[in-house]
Amino acid sequence: MNGKCFEIGAIQAFLDGETTPDMSLQLTDHVAGCDNCARLMADADEQNAVVFSTLERELNTLVPTQRLWSRINETIEVEKSRMPIWQKALVYVRVALANPSLAAAAGILLVLGMFAVFVAVRDGRDTSTTVAENTRPNAAGQPVRNETVNVETTGGDPAIPSTASVAPSARTSNLKDPELRALAASVKANQREIQPRTADYRPAYRTPSADTYLEGEEGYIKTISDLKQNVDTQKDAVMTPSSRVSYERDMAVVNDSIKRMREVVKKNPRNQAARQVLYSSYQDKIDLLNSVAQREELMASLR
Amino acid sequence: MRRNLKNLFCLLLGLCLTVGFAVGTFGQVKPPKVLKDPKPKIYPVPPGHETPGFLDGDGETSEKSTMVDASVAITLCVAQGDLRINGWHRNEVRVFVKNGRQFKMKPREKSPETGKVNWLWIGNVVEGRPAPLAQCLAGEHIEIDAPVGSTFDLEAAAARTSVDSVKKIKVKTRTGIISLRNIPGGIDAYTAQGDVIVENSGGAIEIESTTGNIVAVEVSSGQIGDLFSARTNSGTISLQRVDHRQIKASSISGSLLFDGKFLEGGIYTFRTSNGSIMLAIPAISSCTFTTTYGEGAFHSEIPLKTVTENITPRAKIVVSRLGKGDATVNLTTSNGSIGIRKQASP
Repeated sequence: MNGKCFEIGAIQAFLDGETTPDMSLQLTDHVAGCDNCARLMADADEQNAVVFSTLERELNTLVPTQRLWSRINETIEVEKSRMPIWQKALVYVRVALANPSLAAAAGILLVLGMFAVFVAVRDGRDTSTTVAENTRPNAAGQPVRNETVNVETTGGDPAIPSTASVAPSARTSNLKDPELRALAASVKANQREIQPRTADYRPAYRTPSADTYLEGEEGYIKTISDLKQNVDTQKDAVMTPSSRVSYERDMAVVNDSIKRMREVVKKNPRNQAARQVLYSSYQDKIDLLNSVAQREELMASLR
Repeated sequence: MRRNLKNLFCLLLGLCLTVGFAVGTFGQVKPPKVLKDPKPKIYPVPPGHETPGFLDGDGETSEKSTMVDASVAITLCVAQGDLRINGWHRNEVRVFVKNGRQFKMKPREKSPETGKVNWLWIGNVVEGRPAPLAQCLAGEHIEIDAPVGSTFDLEAAAARTSVDSVKKIKVKTRTGIISLRNIPGGIDAYTAQGDVIVENSGGAIEIESTTGNIVAVEVSSGQIGDLFSARTNSGTISLQRVDHRQIKASSISGSLLFDGKFLEGGIYTFRTSNGSIMLAIPAISSCTFTTTYGEGAFHSEIPLKTVTENITPRAKIVVSRLGKGDATVNLTTSNGSIGIRKQASP
């Protein structure tokens, strides 16, 4: 052994692959000419073999060795070298536009597309639909008159008249007598089932994702979600305005309670009192939604 | 550089050609549109009146009766009117309709033992009536007298329903007050809009109102295990001398009032979200209270022995005992208060 001999720790680090490349080079050079260090390394290697064979799984997963770091760094480099798709697409477009014929074709296609869109929009405004001709008996049971009413619609299925198109925009071009026009309109209103086609944009009921559920609330939330989907489609039909007001007020009360208790439970999941109140509020919400479903059932049975 | 200029020239050339093509297209004179003759849709006029109503022009006062079994089951629906059902000690059903639809009583089943009708249907006489609730009775006043042992299954659209002295009833109304008295065999009552009042009755009782109040007085269970359940969204639930061993009462924005006693081994659950819970019980009772409340308060006139307490700033659970603690009483409110007071001595 001489003054340049390495400590056992350094040798161990070398065997573990934790030394720098320069250090590794120095060590291997030294060990080639030093019997003591070579023996130390052989012993350490033997010990490593025994230890690693028994603790291989734990060591491989728990000790961040130099090899692991090297692999991580390599992976990062590979990820960096990967180019996003949009960048690749941009490069492709640049190359394609360098060709004069392709550039000209793209320009033509662009202008043609704009032209086609313009024409399509222009044609859509001219749609007119004939809706109805009504026969109405007079007091003696004889038909009075047949009249045709043209109703302008703004596109869409003419079989389902829109509320906006029926009342104010009825263009009674074929009717000259105002009384007859009023008659035709009233008959039409009586005899046709006008189905409102007003757009009904409802925000989707958002349920928290699985990882955001508090303990024990998942079942409640799923039940509420199912019930709410059903109730939201029916509540306008089955509830009177006053009932609707009560329902919305009760729903607001329950939602407020749920929100407050949820925050408390989120902050302190061990708060059993808040958890109980939260569950109780969820149950109230389910009961409230169920009451609407029950009313809907009653309405259906009494039709 | 030269190549770029060439590309620019080609692009401009393409654009010019396209614009020229578009201008040419717009410049053409369009042939006038030939309007097609409109295809008429003929809507057949339904026979009878234009807007059929409940009475549909009948407007008659009529009365009919039929002999039935003592425990007859009667099914009917009412479209409109004040309905009164009274029990009497005769094996006969009498129906009286003032200013209403004509009706008929149709036997659906006869008892094999007595040969009398034990399932009776009461409904509109006109088949295929184009009116709403076509099979239902309608009138200004509808009175039905039936045996005290009869069972009713009733649905109503808009009716003020009053039932007295029958065995059992199931009633569902869309709108209207339901008043039930002296019904020992059980009650299932639901109204979407209106109050429900139950007096001197028994058996398994289930009462539900969406927006109305619920009042139950002098109610007892018929058999062991009969449940008393009352639920409303916006109304108050008042229970006085309800002697069921299992009571469930819940309201969302209404209050709960209980004036009675808790029986040994009973399970009582009172829940409200935004209302208060008030119990009036004898000072000598035996029950265990589990009181869960959010931002309200809990107070008791009767001294209770606290078993456990879990008090946090936003929610509390207090388990307390009175006497031996035989009955289990669960009281839950999110925002309201809970109070226990001594029952007034009779």
